[in-house]
Amino acid sequence: MNAISTEFHPSPRLIRWLWGLVIGGGATLALGLVISPQMALSSLLSAGYTLLCAGLAGIFFVAAQYASGASWAVAFRRVPEAMCAALPVGALIVGVTLLAGSELYPWVHDRHHITGFKAMWLNFPFFLMRAVFYLLLWWVFARKILATSRAQDANPDPALSQRNTRLSVLFLVLFAITFWLASFDWIMSLEPHWYSTIFGIYNFAGMFSSGIAIIILLVLWMRRAGPLRDFVTDEHFHDLGKLLFGFTSFWMYIWFSQYMLIWYANITEETLRYTHLQHRYWLPLFILNVILNWVFPFLALLNKRTKRTGHLLARVAAVVLVGRWLDVYLMVQPAAGGENPTIAVWDIGAVVAASALFVLLFIRGMRQASPVPAGDPRLAESLHYHN
Amino acid sequence: MTGRVMVGIFTNEGDLLDVTNTVRARGIKIVDVYAPYAVHGLDKAMGLPAPWRIPWTCFALGLFGAVAKTWFEYWTTATDWPVNVGGKPWDSLPAFVPITFEIMVLFAGLSAVFAFFWVSRLYPGKKAVITNVGTTDDRFALVLEESDAAFDPDEVRALLESYGAVEVTERAEVVIR
Repeated sequence: MNAISTEFHPSPRLIRWLWGLVIGGGATLALGLVISPQMALSSLLSAGYTLLCAGLAGIFFVAAQYASGASWAVAFRRVPEAMCAALPVGALIVGVTLLAGSELYPWVHDRHHITGFKAMWLNFPFFLMRAVFYLLLWWVFARKILATSRAQDANPDPALSQRNTRLSVLFLVLFAITFWLASFDWIMSLEPHWYSTIFGIYNFAGMFSSGIAIIILLVLWMRRAGPLRDFVTDEHFHDLGKLLFGFTSFWMYIWFSQYMLIWYANITEETLRYTHLQHRYWLPLFILNVILNWVFPFLALLNKRTKRTGHLLARVAAVVLVGRWLDVYLMVQPAAGGENPTIAVWDIGAVVAASALFVLLFIRGMRQASPVPAGDPRLAESLHYHN
Repeated sequence: MTGRVMVGIFTNEGDLLDVTNTVRARGIKIVDVYAPYAVHGLDKAMGLPAPWRIPWTCFALGLFGAVAKTWFEYWTTATDWPVNVGGKPWDSLPAFVPITFEIMVLFAGLSAVFAFFWVSRLYPGKKAVITNVGTTDDRFALVLEESDAAFDPDEVRALLESYGAVEVTERAEVVIR
């Protein structure tokens, strides 16, 4: 398989631009931290969490493929693998933000009505220890799975695939529990009196549907830029489109499951969040969130042509990513914000910097290994399959 | 209509896809292909048009189910016999959503199944016409129409055998849809 030598060389101009955006966006964020620390920390948390989730979506996708023994995605598996490069940096940003937790999390100082198990759980040192544990656990598994996958390039041994299958199954189980708890810790505890047991699945749904959208955009880019030109076909995009369709619908299903139970039970501390989100100018954003994350992708992806046509699928994926930003914004900002939503210059700066940083990390990850897992025994199947 | 057919039996999915592509490229008319399971890519190899009727039937009836059920719930709980549940308004739309969703899925699913039966002319009690009993187990059958004047049985037989046909038979007077 020496024929595969299509390396990825992004233009230096692109790299300069991306660094410029990271520095520019970072500068607005630094300004924000001086002017309005709490608001800017919220956008830093949003940016770090979104970046971390993009990396987690990559490793989750790879692990799900291994665990299910799927072959279709092998041809472009190096793309979700390269996305994992965002994991350590996202973890660092989230970690630093959490260290400033006393500004963000009201329960650090105000222990009013925080009793029983909650008082034990929402304890700042324990909170930080848990964060370190989750982040390290994910990073260690991602590194192991990636290393095994890359080792297979030089040594096409099916035993390596089996090793990754075992690692992936273990990772998925641990990930389900730790990601759930992490979303409780980092996002839900911003409003410590509001709670929803389904919140972890809701966060997972958003993380994975936007993760598929990112994979779609990156695979399209890699096909156009060269490394995957001869390996990725319309069949792959058709299936990625189906997956995006499925998971945006899953997001909606979980969104509504959370909403309906809270609406039905009508308990004051549970409805708190929704009454806030349905007031004043939060309401248009609340509705827009559902339109961007489900209504639009659902209607657009019903058609087979959208799923098989690169530029159409890219537009749907872009809309889902805008929806993802809004979704995280609506989870994080209302706790810090006032009567009406505000979008400060550092909110935009954080998104721009995080996106540019993600692309830079992706490029780095993509260049660390051959763009196609040439030693994977399932590669041939992935190159020739039909829908 | 009725006509003479040639039946080639294959044991391998890959051979079947290749031979179907070749036969179609040569302009030989394919009556049908029989397989024990759905072979991916076979519809393209046979040159079948994209199935647009079933998806649209599914969508339209799913939409009908959702709308009809929403109306029905509104009528029962808000108009005909208003019931106070937990002090909620009678026309509480969020409460209707789960049932609306289920009915939409039911209508969409059943309509797709019935549309499929309709298109493939299947109904309870229909007598099965089995080209080769092996197609219910591990064989694939490619059925070709011989009515064309340019059809050369010997040449086509050799062609099918070159693709690994284990058995090639000719049959007269078979009903061709």
